[in-house]
Order: sequence, then structure tokens, then C-alpha cells
Amino acid sequence: MSGHNESILREPLITGSDITYAKITDDILMPVENKPNRAWWIGFILSLCGATLWVVAVSYTFWFGIGSWGLNKTVGWAWDITGFVWWVGIGHAGTLISAVLLLFRQNWRNSINRSAEAMTIFAVICAATYVVSHMGRPWLAYWVLPLPNQFGSLWVNFNSPLVWDMFAISTYFSVSLLFWYTGLLPDIATIRDRATGVRRKIYSIFSFGWSGNVKTWQRFEAVSLILAGISTPLVLSVHTIVSMDFATSVIPGWHTTIFPPYFVAGAIFSGFAMVLTLLLVARKVLGLENYITMFHIESMNKIIILTGSIVGVAYITEFFIAWYSGSEYEQYAFINRSTGPYWWAYWMMMTCNVISPQLLWFKKIRTSIPATWILSIVVNIGMWFERFVIIVTSLHRDYIPSSWAMFYPTWVDVSVFVGSIGVFFTLFLLFLRVLPSIAIAEVKLLLKSASEQAKMKQIKEGHLDKEQVAEYVESLEKFDSVKQEEYAKI
Amino acid sequence: MESNKKYWKGLEEYKNTPDFVENNKNEFAEPLPIEDVLNEAGLSTVTPRRDFLKALGFGLGAVTLAACQTAPVHKSIPYLIKPEEVVPGIPNYYVSSYNGQSILVKTREGRPIKIEPNPNAGAFNCGTDAQAQASVLDLYDVSKLKSPQLKSGNSLTESNWSKIDAFVKGELNKAQASGKKIRIVSSSVNSPSTKAVVADFISAYPNTKHVQYDPISYTGIIKANENSFGKAVVPKYNFDKAELVVSFSADFLGTWISGEEFTSQYIANRDYKSLAKGKMSRHFQFEAGMSLTGTNADTRVPVKLSEEGPALLALYNAVTGNSLAGASLPNNTTADKVIKLLGKELLQNKGKSLVVCGSNDVSTQILVNAINSAIGSYGTTIDLDNPSKRYAGNDAEFAELLNEMNRGEVAAVFFLDTNPAYDITNTKSFTDGLAKVALKVSFADRSDETASLCDVIAINHNYLESWGDANAYEGYYSIVQPTINPVFNSRQAEESLLIWSDNPVKEYYTYVRNNWEKNILPALGKEWKDVLQTGVFAAAAKPAGAYTFSQSLTAVIPTIISNSKALAKDIELQVYESIPMRNGKHANNAFLQELPDPVSKVTWDNYIALAPKFAEKLGFKEFDIVSITDDKYTIELPVLIQPGQAQGTASIALGYGRNKAGKAGDNVGKNAFPFVSFTNGTFKYATTVKLTGTGKREELAQTQTHHSFEGRNIIREATFKEYKKNPAIGSGNDHAKHKSYDMWDKYEKPGNNWVMAIDLNACTGCGSCIVACNVENNIPVVGKEEVRKRREMHWIRIDRYYSFNVEGGEDEGAHGSGHGTHGSTGINAVTKEKEIAHLDNLDNVSVVHQPMLCQHCDHAPCETVCPVLATVHSSDGLNHMAYNRCVGTRYCANNCPYKVRRFNWFNYWNDSRFDNYLNNEFTQLVLNPDVTTRSRGVMEKCSMCIQRIQGGKLQAKMEKRPLKDGDIKMACQEACSANAIIFGDGNDPNSEVSKALRSERIYYVLEEINVQPGIGYMTKIRNTDTTVQA
Repeated sequence: MSGHNESILREPLITGSDITYAKITDDILMPVENKPNRAWWIGFILSLCGATLWVVAVSYTFWFGIGSWGLNKTVGWAWDITGFVWWVGIGHAGTLISAVLLLFRQNWRNSINRSAEAMTIFAVICAATYVVSHMGRPWLAYWVLPLPNQFGSLWVNFNSPLVWDMFAISTYFSVSLLFWYTGLLPDIATIRDRATGVRRKIYSIFSFGWSGNVKTWQRFEAVSLILAGISTPLVLSVHTIVSMDFATSVIPGWHTTIFPPYFVAGAIFSGFAMVLTLLLVARKVLGLENYITMFHIESMNKIIILTGSIVGVAYITEFFIAWYSGSEYEQYAFINRSTGPYWWAYWMMMTCNVISPQLLWFKKIRTSIPATWILSIVVNIGMWFERFVIIVTSLHRDYIPSSWAMFYPTWVDVSVFVGSIGVFFTLFLLFLRVLPSIAIAEVKLLLKSASEQAKMKQIKEGHLDKEQVAEYVESLEKFDSVKQEEYAKI
Repeated sequence: MESNKKYWKGLEEYKNTPDFVENNKNEFAEPLPIEDVLNEAGLSTVTPRRDFLKALGFGLGAVTLAACQTAPVHKSIPYLIKPEEVVPGIPNYYVSSYNGQSILVKTREGRPIKIEPNPNAGAFNCGTDAQAQASVLDLYDVSKLKSPQLKSGNSLTESNWSKIDAFVKGELNKAQASGKKIRIVSSSVNSPSTKAVVADFISAYPNTKHVQYDPISYTGIIKANENSFGKAVVPKYNFDKAELVVSFSADFLGTWISGEEFTSQYIANRDYKSLAKGKMSRHFQFEAGMSLTGTNADTRVPVKLSEEGPALLALYNAVTGNSLAGASLPNNTTADKVIKLLGKELLQNKGKSLVVCGSNDVSTQILVNAINSAIGSYGTTIDLDNPSKRYAGNDAEFAELLNEMNRGEVAAVFFLDTNPAYDITNTKSFTDGLAKVALKVSFADRSDETASLCDVIAINHNYLESWGDANAYEGYYSIVQPTINPVFNSRQAEESLLIWSDNPVKEYYTYVRNNWEKNILPALGKEWKDVLQTGVFAAAAKPAGAYTFSQSLTAVIPTIISNSKALAKDIELQVYESIPMRNGKHANNAFLQELPDPVSKVTWDNYIALAPKFAEKLGFKEFDIVSITDDKYTIELPVLIQPGQAQGTASIALGYGRNKAGKAGDNVGKNAFPFVSFTNGTFKYATTVKLTGTGKREELAQTQTHHSFEGRNIIREATFKEYKKNPAIGSGNDHAKHKSYDMWDKYEKPGNNWVMAIDLNACTGCGSCIVACNVENNIPVVGKEEVRKRREMHWIRIDRYYSFNVEGGEDEGAHGSGHGTHGSTGINAVTKEKEIAHLDNLDNVSVVHQPMLCQHCDHAPCETVCPVLATVHSSDGLNHMAYNRCVGTRYCANNCPYKVRRFNWFNYWNDSRFDNYLNNEFTQLVLNPDVTTRSRGVMEKCSMCIQRIQGGKLQAKMEKRPLKDGDIKMACQEACSANAIIFGDGNDPNSEVSKALRSERIYYVLEEINVQPGIGYMTKIRNTDTTVQA
């Protein structure tokens, strides 16, 4: 890779003119090796309050029963499963970035994969809490596992999508965790090597005796590739199976074959939005602008336009099929979505998921950090509403009109959801304090080939086509981390 | 032959050595060192390691064993001497009667747990109404008093019977000596024995008079019959003989006189058996508020209360050809038109029609008598010679009693089964008068509104603890026998009266038996033992005479017209008896409070019903709280928008607003009895009021909030005319069905295949099945707040849909219900919410009632999605629910297209927030031990009374015979007066249900999604003839 020079037309993945291997280590380990700053403490305390709210709300539910939520005889799932699918969706970007982009040799993933994977793991944890807490008798949650038991021949129902779901989520969680941890090994070793005392002992245990010799690295690369190969189908399978929770039912608005691809696209959509939400703040607060550059931001925005448009097409297709099917129940379900009592939720979803991401076609918007950040949050609001629309508006008016009903959330519903965001951020902020938020070893790989420094060196060597150099320089204008005056001379 | 083999344990034994002989005498082969251990030396030896370990082991083991206490010990004491007839697990049935209905009381281990109709009652077995079904809960009511109360100082305190007897007798003697009046006030009494007890009491205290008073009075009918025919009775109505029924605001399928009996008669001319013979009666209803009967009418015409009199006059003119004045309906052209046509039709059906009227006005009822006489009803559809004895109240006598009390002429008053402090129009006059009475005794079972004002509450038994009898019709007697020992220190009211009047017979059982053996049984040629077994006896009915109305109407017409004029101002208010709450007597019964009103589907409240357009005109929206005022009384109630309510009128249910009923019934709704007025000698249930908005709003707890069926083919209907041409019309059976394909294996059902058929033409929507199911299956009552959150637990519900008929036919954008069934039926109704919103005339409303319960689908969507196999299919066609396996994901409920699954959101039986039902050990005695109670977090639903199926199978097995059709009956089916629910084995081609399911009218709800439901519905047939179409 470093044997020859990368094309000058490619934008740099690391900016800054004085980056060395040592500086990379210092920069990335800054939050791990130093006392936390004020911004971290504020964020952490807020998140902890959220997490406490979650504990209170979930305990309340366990004590009094699911009746403390706003569900009823007609709407048996609402904020709970909305929250579950929302979190699982968010958990999608991590694996996509680390596995699929690795297989496609997209080196820009190296700067963001660590945080994205951490985000995945925490999001899946949040999702899993819903799986248990939405049950009427959560203390029996283990009954959905095919465990040997003393109930005679009683086994789980392999026809039930909830059982598939349990397999999908647990597989996804374990593979993601494994992949993430494997990637962390060289970096933990780096921390170990620089630490002293108890910290050194702890990191030494968690580095699994990483020695850094060639054989280790070779095996590391091989394992990463294998795990990437295993993870790739999971990216597609998890949300496919989640979508089957709905698609295999008989409820109009759920019973749709389009759900698997539509859910996967939606999941990637929301996952990338969440990565942006997190990293735009993290790069600023942790001073990582040189590693998470405008190129990364723009690339992710492009994926958001793509997946957002897929989701939009899916929404329209559903309407077409409802009309084309000639089924009155199906038709009513969709007319009711857009014009019924929950019309506002539907149009909230349409605006946030289909219309607003189209703004990213404008280069000015997709390279603007504030605009991107706001849009990333808008997308996640939209994706929450998408799940709410699918779940609640399909259930609340299905076949038999006598049972039609409305769903109104209680304070417990709201608290469990808001609290789960608190849990997520608490975990994420703790992660930033104890583990490197960027894969140090993988970023270092890029320094000699794909960094701004290396490109500058190429330009200075002067064997390049002038037009190409001009184009390269022009492309650097959007970078907030590039000192533009240096290029003015060229 | 005995074996002479000998076994020996060793050579010593074989050889019988002296050593062996010596040792064999000892129990142990070697002597035990007990002496050594117990002597001084033994005790003083140093404990060796082994002994130490032994002691330690023993000690630990002993302590552990001692600490092993099993689950808390409940004091369950077995029978010392087991009663011969009680076998644990086997129910005993006792015949009894409730409110004129002959019933069987099911008891388990000595506890009455269920009321069922008495199959021995023959023609008088008309199912049971919701009140009868729910009555078993009253026995276990914690709000009842546990012992009699006697006034000491200013308050009532617990006392004992001897003190009370001494006190009452003393006061009675004083009263008798003073020459002042003694009054026994009761609701109508038809029990021969109670009447005899009262007569004996009167002979002991000759100043006594028995005043019968019913809060819902039928005095108008009684007086009118006295006036017209010299018979002061409520006649026996024969709806089964009427091919044309016309009702003016009489809710005869619900609350009027005896709803369950009329339902059974009325349906006999309309159900699938009758239709199969090509016969169906026609029913017209003219009324202001939408009653249950109105929802079942073929043609229902909303008329104002003030228009009722003129409408009857118009009908009289139409059938007699007279031209009485005042018969004009200038503001109701529809009614005018219908009545003119109806007149002709009545004359065509002479002797086969019946006109009934719900009014309690004597003049109006005299006019109704004249009409019935003109159409030849007497002797056919009306029988004055075998009259009903259920109601004998005399409003004027009761009004006179109030005057006597206020004049201070009454020295003693006894209240038996009556609560005037709650249910009379002028409470103040009553309480003021009562204060002047020296001795006030109530026989209530609780300190209710009246009892709390009395000096003595001589708590009466519940009817399930009582001996007694009833005489619902002339010549028809039934017995009331106790099914449990009195739970509290109560005493039967009749027994109290016997004791206080020093009757030689003090025990009421003996009294009843003597009375029967002397007065009733000889005529029937039966013995007392037979009474206890069959419960009912009917003497041969007297021939019904054909009476002719020959009085002059000149006296009554001015009264009718002036009544009508008096009502024609402001807003005309009708106060009526609602089906769940009736007159409010059972307000503390949680089953009844949670039984949705069959029309409005409101639970736990009353409300003011207004027509949609009228409410709009007044500027009120649904659930706005309005203040309702007549000149002397004001209440605030939420508005309910009621399609079909006559414009300019409002309706409020009676029976609510109790404040001394008990935990469940207190302060539920508002009392509307003060709107009742006393004019012309009878109580009137109509008045005029003004409404003003309060700006407040309160959502009513309805079990159904969407009221139209959106043109979906879940409801299929046709007219009788079309049905006669093609019985399959509208059902979807009149054309080839889609071929369905299946990815699934077919379930083999080798033994039985339990299926059900429901006749939509028979179901009146009364809700008796809902209560029967609640009691049978231990279904929790959840209370108003939870119903408002749409969390009621009923396993069977009755969906009620409105559709609006438009004049002018098909081209008005109306999509009939035939739309989905591809059959073009003549029913031309608007059923979609969005189209209804654009209609100008919402008065012409049709209603359909559809009982909905678990359909036990063969391809049940709930079964595939359950992750833990908690709901599975059985080999006899049932969809099982294993509560213990359920983890509560609720996916099954989401995936149920019929939305019949119910989730236990809370622990309803152990949560102080649900204090109105099972949250105490006493009320829990009502639970059916054959049905598991469900804990929080599990799903439940209709099990097709699986315990009954199992019970029936076991019974057949014990009797070594195959199951017969009809051995097993569902609780809902049994309670149904209309026989609308037919259950049985689909594998038996000759079973009742198989025959019913072969009807051309059968369709399956949502059959197109191929869930293969097990319950077939029969199309709703309406006998609407275009010539008289409203």
C-alpha cells in the first residue's frame, strides 16, 4: 500500500501537515490518558440522569405491570417495539462500516469504524432491554431461548419471528462484540505500553498479551477479514428478520414482502445518521478534526441520501401496492396512515426521512457541519416516527372496526424511551474515556499514502499533472481542518 | 397346596446351634452399648472425633428439617362428617328462581358460583338476563352488612336479633295501641308465601297496609286494563303469536316487563329456524331514545316524546277509520307516512299483530288498548286471563303514603326490597315524612340510602340463602331454595315479619312448605319433594278471552293531547331504565357496571344522549359535560352522541348516582330519578329540561369507539324480500367462491370438531352472554379508568354497528354492505365514517349486533407468532391458551384479526387500585374453581368453555356412552334468551350446529384472509318492505 503513491485525485483521509505516528497516538489517546474535560462531565451527568430515569421507569413497569404503559387491547405494541426497532436500526451502521467497507477496501472507514462499532454495541444493548422489558412476565424471558428444560418436550416455536429475532439479535451482538474487540487489541496494547501502575496491569490483561510482532499482525489481518466475511451477511439478516416480526403477520400495513430491503435501507440510513450525530461532536470536543475529516462527513452524507431515497421509494411502493392489490383492508390501512388520526406521525416521517435528506444534494449543505448535524438528528427523529407509524397506525385500525382504538403514551412509555437514550450516551461517554475512539493502528496505515502530508509531498516532488493537482487543491477547500493558505501558494 | 420349602439364613440356623438359639431371642445380634453410654463413665468420656461429627451431622440435619416449613399453612379443614351430596370437584345444581326467571344454581363445594336457566321450566325457560347472571356476585358483596343494625343515639350500630325483636315488637305494639298507621312498603311482590306472611302480619296488626311501589312503574297499564276491561293486571303478551309487532317506546326486548321472555318469544318468529320455514315477523318501533328494541326493529322511526300521543291517535284513526282530533304530526312527516301505511298493514294482520307502548300514562294505555282491540289482539297476542304478576305497584298508593307520613299519621314503616330515598322523584318529601315515623325498619342487606335513615336494618338474606317462591304468571309457580347457609348474621325478611307478628310458625321454610302443601300443591297434584326437584309448576293455562274495547275515548284524548303539549317545549327529556343498571338496585354489582350498554357501549356511567345533528345545533360535542335543569333539579352529565335519538329530545338512564350502594356502585353516574314526575296518578318518565354547557369534558368509558363497519363484509345483510327469492343472498354463498390455496398441513380432527354458529338475526345484543361468560370464566372487572384505556377483559363482546339509510337509492354514493359480498342486496346503507360525515339526515339508522369472540381459527395467526408455544391448536378444533407458558409478548393479540385476545395488564385480584371487584378473599369465593385465574402479564381469551367440554366428556365417559349433541353447552349459549349461539360438534353431521352451519346464510367473518375461523355467522335479514320504508 505504501509501496506506491495514491492518486492525487483522491482526497486526503488524514489532514494536517505535522502528523507523525507518535502524534496520532498522542491525539487519539488524549481523552483516555488525561482527566476528562468539562464538556465530557456535562454530557456524562446529563446521560446519567437519563439512565437513572430509565432505571426508575423500567422498575416501575416491572413492579406494577405493563399496564403502566399506554397499550390497550388493540394496540399491543407501541413505544416499546418502536424503540426496539429504532435502536436495532441504529446499530446497523457499525457493522456495515467495519465489515462491508473493509471488504470493499474503503480505507476511509478506518477513522470511523471504532466509534461506529461501539455505537452498534450500545444500541443493540438498548434494543435488547426492550425485548425483555416489553414482556408481560419478563422474569421468564429465558423461555424464548431453546434451552433444555424440565417441561417435558416443550420447546420454542421455530415458526415465530420472535424466536428468529432472538437468534438474529444475539448473533449480531456477539459477532459485533467480537469484531470490535479484535480490532481493539493492538490499540489496547498501545495504551498498555504507555501506561503505568494499575492501569498498565488492567490494560495488559485486556490486551490478551499482544506482542506486536509480524506474525501477530498477520494473524490479526486474517482474523479481521474472516470476521468481516461473517459479519457481512448479518448486516442484511438482522434487520430482515426484525422486519419479519411484522411482515409475517396478517395485519394490513405489516403484511408486506417489501419489508426486508426497506428495513435494511432504513437501518443503514438511521445508523449513519447516528454516527454523524456522535462523531461531529466527538471530533470537535476531542480535537480529532484531522482524522475525521470533511471527506468522511461528506461520504456518510452521500450514503444517507442514497438510503433515504431507497426508503422514500419504499414508502411510495407500499402505497402503490396497496392500491394495486385491490384489498380494501390494505387500502384502508394506507389511507388511514396518511389521513387518519395519526396523519401527523406519517407526515413527520415523510418530511424527516424523505424530504429533508434531499437537501444533502446541495454540496454546501452536505459539507456544512451544523447543517449535517441537524439533519442527522432529523433523520433519526424521522426513523423513530417510521417505526411508530408502521406499528401503531397499522394496529390501531385493522380488520374489525369495533376494536379500533387510539394509543396514548403514559409518562412511563416516554421515560423508558428517553431513559434508553441516556443509557446509550452513558455507555458511549464511558467508552470514550477508556478506549481509543479511533482505531490507532488502522489510521496509522493511511499516514504514508492517503494523508494530506503525503499528497503535499507528491505535489512538491512535482511529477504530477497540473490539472489534477488543481482539482485536488480545489477539493480541499471544503475541509475545515486544512490550512488553505498553504495551497494558495501553489 | 402349601409350599413346604424352608429358607434358612445361615448354616447356624440350618443346624440350629445353641448359640443361634440364644442370639435369636434378642432383637439385635450384638448387644447395643446403651448402658455404657448412659452410665457415668460413658458420659464423662472425651467425645471422639467420629461422635462429634455424628452429633454435628444430626444437629445440622435436625435444625434443617425443623426449618423446612412448607408453604404457609392455610386452614383448610376437611369435612369431619362429609355431607352425602357434596363431592369435591363435582357441582351440585339447585332449582330456584330469580325475578320471575326459573333458574338452576350451580354450587361447588357449597358455594353458589353460577346461575343457569332451568331446563325443566319448559315454556317458561327463556334464558336468563344479565341481572340474573350477575346476581351470584351480590352474594359475595363485601359492602353488605354483617349483622343487623339498631339505632342507638343518632347512629345505627351492630346489634343482635333478640334486641331487635324486642325493640321492634315494643314499637309495633305502641303503634298499634296509638291507632296510628303501620305500612309495609315493598316493590311488587308476587311470591304467594310472602303475600301470606304480609297478610298474617296485617291480621296481627290490623292498622297495617301493604303498599307496593316500583321505581319503574307499570301502574299505567294496570289502571288502563282496569278501566277498559275491569281487570287490574299486566297482561301476558304473546310476541310469538305476533307477526307484526308495533312498539311505541316499549323496550320489550330489554327492560320492559320481562325482556328475556319477550326476546325468546319474539325471536321465535325471526331466527334461522323460522327463516328456514320462510317466516319472519315485522317490527316497527317508534321511540325517542335508541333502545335495544329499537336497534332490532325492521323499521324504526324516531318520534319526540310529545309526538307519541298524537302518533298513537293517528294509528288509532288509521286502524279504525275514525278521525279523532289531535292526531296530526306536523313536524314528523316520516312518522306520519309510516303510521298511515302501518294502519293498513295492521288490519291485514288482524289477530296476528301486537301494539305495545312503554308509557306509564293511564290515558295513553287506554288508547293502546283500543288499538289492540281494533286489531284483534285480545285472546291471541294479549292474554288478560293469565296475567303477569311481576308488577303490581300502585303509584297513587305510594304517593298517598308520602302524604300520610308527612301528616304524621304513620307510626311504623317497613321497607322490603325497596329504596325510595334513592329512587323517588321527591326525596325531600320522603325524608321529611320519614323523620315523623316512630319506627322505621329496612330489610336491606346494606346500609343503603333508605336503610341508613331507619332505626333498624333487619338485614335480609340474599336470595341464594333464602327460601321462597314466585308466581310470575297466573297459575305458574316457582320455588326459591337456599343454596348456601347464610354467610352473615342475616335473617330472612319474611321470618322477621313472622316473629314480629307472633305467628305460630316462626321458621320461614316451614311456612313456605305449609303454604305450598295447603294452597298450591293439591291443585297440581304434586308433592313438596317434586317442587324441590323441578322448581316450577304451571297449571293448565286458562283460555284467553277475546276482549273488546267498548269504552269511550272522549275522556282520555284531552289528557293525551295536554300531556303532549306540556312536553313540547325546551328539550324533551326521557329518563329510562338502562339494560345493565336497570333501576339501580344492583348498582354495586361490578359485572353489571362493566357490562357495556348494548346501544352506546358505555360502562360505569350514565350520560345524556343527544342526536348528532341536534347536539351540533346546540353546540355540544361528544363528552362535553352539560348541566341539565328542570324547574327543581339539576345534574351535570357528559353528552353522548346517539344516532337515532329523536331531534329535540334527550335521554338519561336511571339507576346511576347511588351514594350508599357500596364500593363499586357509589358515585357512578348521576341520579336521574328526580326528573320523574307524578301526574294524573302515575309516575311519568318524561319531562322537559334546559341544557347549558359547563365547559368541562369527560370521556365516557366505552368498549367500542368506532361505530360504523366501513362497508366491510364482516357484516352481511339482506332484506327478507330478497331472502325469500334467494336464501343465500348477501351471504357470499350465492356465487362461486374464490379457490383458496394452502401452504399448511390440514389439522386432523379425528374425534370432535368444536364449532359454533351465530345467528345475527336472533342476537338482540342484550349482553346476557357477556355476564354469563364473565362469571363462568373468572374474567376480571377492570373499572372505569381501565375501560377508558380500552382494556376491558371481556372474552365475548357484542359489536354494534350503525349504518345510515339514505332515501333515493343507489345513485347517491351510498355503498351498501352488499359491496364486499358481491351480492347486490337491497340494503342501501352508508357505512363508512367519511361518507357518514357528509350526510344531512342521520335519523334513519339501522343497527346490527355481532357477538365477537375467539373464532378458534384452524389457521390461527396467533399460534404461529407465539415464541413459546403458549397458544396452540388442539385436535378437536380449539385454539388453546396455556396461561402458565405465556411470557406476555402480546404478539398474538396484535396478530389476531378479530382482536379478541385480552391481556392482563395488572394483577386485578391483588391490586388496591381494582378494589371494586376481587380484591378481597370473600368475593373471591365467587370464582369458578374449574377455571384458572390469570396472573399479571399473560394473555387470555375465549377457551370455548373448555372446562365444560371436558366436564361433558367425563360425564359421558362415566356413563359409558358417547357424547350426545347438547351435552355440552357454552356459558354464553346457555344464557342466551334468543338462542342466537349454537355450539356443538362439527364432525357430527346431525348435530344442531352442523345443521345450522349448512344454512345458506352462513358466512365466516374475514374468511378471505384464510385463517379458517370456526365460527359461522348467519346473515342479518331485515324485514323492510319498500312500500313502508321509512
